[in-house]
Amino acid sequence: MQSIYYFVLVPMVYIAFSIFAVGTTFRLINIFRQPKHPTTLQIYPEKTPRWLWALHDTFLFPTVRRHKPMLWCFLITFHICLLLLLIGHIELLGEFKVFQVIPHQVFIGQGFVGLIVAICLLYFLFRRFLSPVRELSVAEDYYLLILLLLIVIFGSEMDWARRWYEYGELDTEDYQAYLWSLLTFRPVLPDNVIYSGHSFMLVLHVFFANLFLIFFPFSQAMHSFLSLPMNKLRRG
Amino acid sequence: MDDKLRDDLLQLFRSKLNEAMTFYLETCTRCGVCVEACHAYASMGQVRYIAAYRAEIIRRIYKKYFKSQGRAWASLGESKELSEMALDELYDAAYSCTGCRRCMVYCPFGIDTQMLMSIAKLLLIGADAEPEILTLLADTSIEKGKSIDLFKEGFMKGVKSLDKKVIEHWQLEAGETVIPVDVKGADLLYVALAGAHSIIPAAAVFNAAGEKWSLSFFEAVNFGAFVGDPIRTKQILDRIISEAKRLNVKEVCICECGTAYRVMKQLSGRQPFKVSSITEVHARYIKEGRIKLDKSKVTGTVVYHDPCQIARNGGVMDEPRYILRHLTDNYLEMTPDPTYNWCCGGGGGLVALGEETLDFRMKSARVKADQVKGTGAAILSTACENCHTQLDNLNDHYKLGCKVRFLSSMVADALIQ
Repeated sequence: MQSIYYFVLVPMVYIAFSIFAVGTTFRLINIFRQPKHPTTLQIYPEKTPRWLWALHDTFLFPTVRRHKPMLWCFLITFHICLLLLLIGHIELLGEFKVFQVIPHQVFIGQGFVGLIVAICLLYFLFRRFLSPVRELSVAEDYYLLILLLLIVIFGSEMDWARRWYEYGELDTEDYQAYLWSLLTFRPVLPDNVIYSGHSFMLVLHVFFANLFLIFFPFSQAMHSFLSLPMNKLRRG
Repeated sequence: MDDKLRDDLLQLFRSKLNEAMTFYLETCTRCGVCVEACHAYASMGQVRYIAAYRAEIIRRIYKKYFKSQGRAWASLGESKELSEMALDELYDAAYSCTGCRRCMVYCPFGIDTQMLMSIAKLLLIGADAEPEILTLLADTSIEKGKSIDLFKEGFMKGVKSLDKKVIEHWQLEAGETVIPVDVKGADLLYVALAGAHSIIPAAAVFNAAGEKWSLSFFEAVNFGAFVGDPIRTKQILDRIISEAKRLNVKEVCICECGTAYRVMKQLSGRQPFKVSSITEVHARYIKEGRIKLDKSKVTGTVVYHDPCQIARNGGVMDEPRYILRHLTDNYLEMTPDPTYNWCCGGGGGLVALGEETLDFRMKSARVKADQVKGTGAAILSTACENCHTQLDNLNDHYKLGCKVRFLSSMVADALIQ
C-alpha cells in the first residue's frame, strides 16, 4: 500500500505535470503555427479597443449571461472559485504576501470555496443529463466533470475536516513540506501525509488531479488557452 | 467508400485546417448556449439543427483522423469514420445551415459554424455529392469571365433595352448615356445581378446623383461561395477585380446581394479601389445632398430585414436605417438589436436551389415569419436578393400580408427630379 501511496504522490505527479506542460505547449505551438485565416471573422457592430472587448468576452461570458443567466451564475462562480483554489494551492507552497491582502487562513474561503465548486460541477453534470444538452454531449464532457468532482470532493474533504470538524492530525504545514519537496525535486513524504487517518483522501485527491493533468492537453479543457484568441477573432 | 476517395477527402479536410479552423474544432465545450441561436432549431425543434450538433458532425471526423485523442480513445469524443453515411450527415448539416452566423453571437468562444460547414461543403464537392446546380452555375460564371467577347454584344443590347425604364425614374439630358458600360476612368463600378430589377433602380439613382459610373459585365452573385468551393469562389471574384482594375475605378459597388458583398469586401484583399454596398452608396448620396427623396411615395409602416451577410457579418447596419428615415416617418425596428436578427432562412445557397429546398426553407424560417407578423408592417424592405426571394416565399406561405421590397427600388421610386 505504501508503495502505491508513494507512486501516486511522487512519480505520478511528476509524470502528470510533464505530460500537462509538454502536451499543452506542444499542442498550442502546433495550433498557433498554422497559417492565419486570410479574411476577417468578426461580427459587427465593432467596438474598440478590440483587445479589451475580447478580454471582456473571455472572462465575463456576456453571451452566456444574456442567453442562459442561470448557467452564467454557476459558470462565473465556478471559474472564480477555481481561481481561488489555484491561489490556495500556490499558498501551500509558501507564504505570498500578495495573496494575504485580505488576511486569511490557507485555504481561502473556510472550506466553502470547494463546496461551491462541487455544487457548480453537479449542476453542470445534471444539466448534461437533460435534452438538448444531452444530445450535444460526448463521453469526454461527462468524464471531465466527474473527474473534477472527484478531485474537488477529496481535496475539499481535507479542508472541511480541519475547518469544520477540528481534525488536526494533518495540517497545512505537512502539505507545505510535501509540496515544497516536490517542487525542489527532493521529494519527501512527511509521516503525517501518508500515515494519518485522512491520508487516503490526499492520495485520491492527488491521483484524480494527476489524471486530470494528463487528460488536459487532449481535452476540451484546452478552451482555457484558446478562448481569448477565439474571442479576439470574433471582435476583429 | 473506397480508401482512395477517403484519402482524397481527408486531403481536402486538411487543406481547410488553418489556425482559426483548428480553434473552432478544438474548443467547443458543448455547453448548449447556442441551442436557441439557429432559426431552423427555433422553428423546427430538431436537435440536428443546433449549431453545436452540426459542428460536432465535422468535429467527430476531425477527431478520428487528425487528433491523437480520437485515435487512442475513439469513444471519448465519439470520433467517427468518414463513410457514405457520414457524407449524408454532412450534406444535411451543411445544406440546412444558411451561414448566417447568428450562433456565433451566442457562443461564449465565438465558434463560427459557417466556417466549419465550409469543410462539409468542400468534402461534398470532393465526393461529387454537392448540389450540382450550384457547381454548374459557378462554372457558367467562370466561363463568362473567360470569354467576355462572346456575350458582350448581347449584353450591351440587353442593357440598352432597359434605358426606357430607367428614364421613367430619372430623366436625363438628351445624349447622356443612361446605362454606361465599360467606361475607363469611371469613379464607380456597379456590379449588379443578372436581372433588370437589379439594374434599373440602381442606374436611376446613380444618374440622379450625377455619379460617374459604369455597369460591370459580370453578375455579383458568387455561386462558388454558396457551394463552398474556394477555387471557384476566387475565380468568380477575380473577374470583377480585373475589370475594376482595367477600368481604373475608385470604388466597386456591390448590388443588393449579401454573399457577393461579403465575398468582395472581405475576400478581395488589398486593392486600389474601395468596396461598398449599394446601401452604403445610397446613404452617402442622401447625406451629401446628391439625391432627394419624396416621403409621400412610401405609405404604411416599413420594417427592414437586415441581411446576415451585410449586417451582422458585413457591418452595414446604420446606413439602411438612415435611408429609411428619409423615405418614411413610419419606420419600425424588427428587432431591438440587428446583431440578433433572425436569418430569413434562405442563405448559404438554399434559395439558389429553388423548389428543391422550398419546403425546408418555409418550415425552418417560421420564427422569421412570426417576427415579421409581429411588427404588423405593410412593407418589408431588405437589401439582399436571396433574402428578398425567401421573404417573398414566406409572405405567400405564411400569409403575412405585407409587400416585400428592395430598399434600392424604394429609393429609386422616391427620387425627386
